[in-house]
Amino acid sequence: MGVLRLENVYKDFSGLEVLCGISLEIRRGERHAIIGPNGAGKSTVFNVITGFYKPSRGRIFFLDQDITGWPIHKIARLGISRSFQITSLFPKMTVFENLRNAVVSKLNHRFNWTTLLNRSREVQRECERVIESLRLTSVRDVPACELSYGWQRRLELSLTLALDPFVILLDEPTAGIDVKETRSFVEFMKETTEGKTLVMVEHDMDVVFDIADRVTVLNNGKVLVTGTIHEIRENEEVQKAYAGRK
Amino acid sequence: MRGLRLDTLGRGIAIILLLLLPQFLPLIYIHLATEILIYALFAVSFNLLFGYGGLLPFGHVALFGVGAYVAALIFKHFPGMYLPLTLLLTALSGVPIAAIIGFFCLRLKGAYFALISLAFQMFLYAIAMKWRSLAYGDDGMTVNRPDLYLPVLGNLSMRSIENVYYLTLVIVAIGILACYLFLKTPLGNSFVCMRERDIRASYLGYDVFLTRFTVFSASGILAALAGGLFVFFEEFVATSCIDLNMGISVVFMTVIGGPGHYLGPVLGAAFYIFFQDWISSLTKHWWVFMGIVFVGVVLYFEGGLVSLFTNGKVRLWASRLKGG
Repeated sequence: MGVLRLENVYKDFSGLEVLCGISLEIRRGERHAIIGPNGAGKSTVFNVITGFYKPSRGRIFFLDQDITGWPIHKIARLGISRSFQITSLFPKMTVFENLRNAVVSKLNHRFNWTTLLNRSREVQRECERVIESLRLTSVRDVPACELSYGWQRRLELSLTLALDPFVILLDEPTAGIDVKETRSFVEFMKETTEGKTLVMVEHDMDVVFDIADRVTVLNNGKVLVTGTIHEIRENEEVQKAYAGRK
Repeated sequence: MRGLRLDTLGRGIAIILLLLLPQFLPLIYIHLATEILIYALFAVSFNLLFGYGGLLPFGHVALFGVGAYVAALIFKHFPGMYLPLTLLLTALSGVPIAAIIGFFCLRLKGAYFALISLAFQMFLYAIAMKWRSLAYGDDGMTVNRPDLYLPVLGNLSMRSIENVYYLTLVIVAIGILACYLFLKTPLGNSFVCMRERDIRASYLGYDVFLTRFTVFSASGILAALAGGLFVFFEEFVATSCIDLNMGISVVFMTVIGGPGHYLGPVLGAAFYIFFQDWISSLTKHWWVFMGIVFVGVVLYFEGGLVSLFTNGKVRLWASRLKGG
């Protein structure tokens, strides 16, 4: 069954068509990679799903509920959580405080002004659990801006996961991580997202082939093909699109 | 642990000093201290938005002015009203005005936010200036301080500056404490995390506009209360309570004192008033010198006066004590 469904989605920026009729279905529990050459519209797909952009045309459904045009925070509260290609953390806050922001939101304490944050056992306990399960204990009290890049990427991913999302959207999770670290990062990703529905945009084909069950190839704002890894590898159009780029 | 105790000790001494101040200071300095407290409350309100929220409400003085005029009108037309009730109404009068201003400003970011906020201040300034039958323009109006009746203490005469000082001290202390505690609640934390990265906050499920709107409106309470206390203290209101000079001085106080620290604006207000008092006795061009201080702080002393206590040597020293 489709968890997330895009029906004929268009997005143009003052005349420049970035998405031209994208239809896409993400199945429950699958690991779906979106690949394609630069400028194919991969990140824009994420941005229309999460409400950052309103699609010019077309509809987006989450569990058969039409979420087209909803604001970002409402979509996030449904359980669709994303990470960013360019690390987007709360820089002056510690790792603990970063994750606490996610936990406070998850527990629906966002508007609570009658209790003190550090007196709330519920929040405190959940934060400790999250930190432990995401293995961030060693950097718990380090401000996010002082972390090494590799740790920042981990925290970026962890912030997304700390919401216990239903669908996880990862925008180039391994961007900028050096080859040596990528291996362990991918392991970390696999473990922490186990059993969840995962959609990711990724450039690194090794990572895609390692993680994904199914792949969608985008080119010039259109879906070229969707299929299993094997099908994609054999597909001539895909080979042409990638070869044509070079 | 010793560092922590030192901190508590410092605060204890400060409180005792503030309480005993009128006993050993000459009258003129009690006046000055009262003025500082009132400005401090105003600056705390500004700092909530600027230091903690990353918003620059350039026209924040609009709310101070609204409080000042509301208090003045109550003092003038309902002289018998119970003083705490007057101050409560004054404080609450800031909320709807802040809500209206915030509703429009908070859709914008950065410089545009600051400018639209300034436009509202100009608009209210124009009303205060032109609506002479109500506000008496730049002639202003004189009001009388009502006395305060308290259950156990009896009737406290507000002709006595000591009593005015103590009343102000209590109210301002409550205001600052409320602000301090608010920032430790989940809602306060939500507001701060939006300063850090508002887009990420939305992706975590925070409604950025609604949160900022709520805090912005609430900040009107403190600003208007400060305005009301100002009129109570000065026994006079005029357009100077809502003009640009007043608006700039709160920015100066907060930046010089240290935005983003709950005591920064208090130190800033103290420095500003003392410095103004001292330098204006030497030259009438005191603004020039204040400007130089401001530029100096912005360029070379980010973090303001309060960072003297929280950063660098003092902090190092404190942490060494903490370490044993």
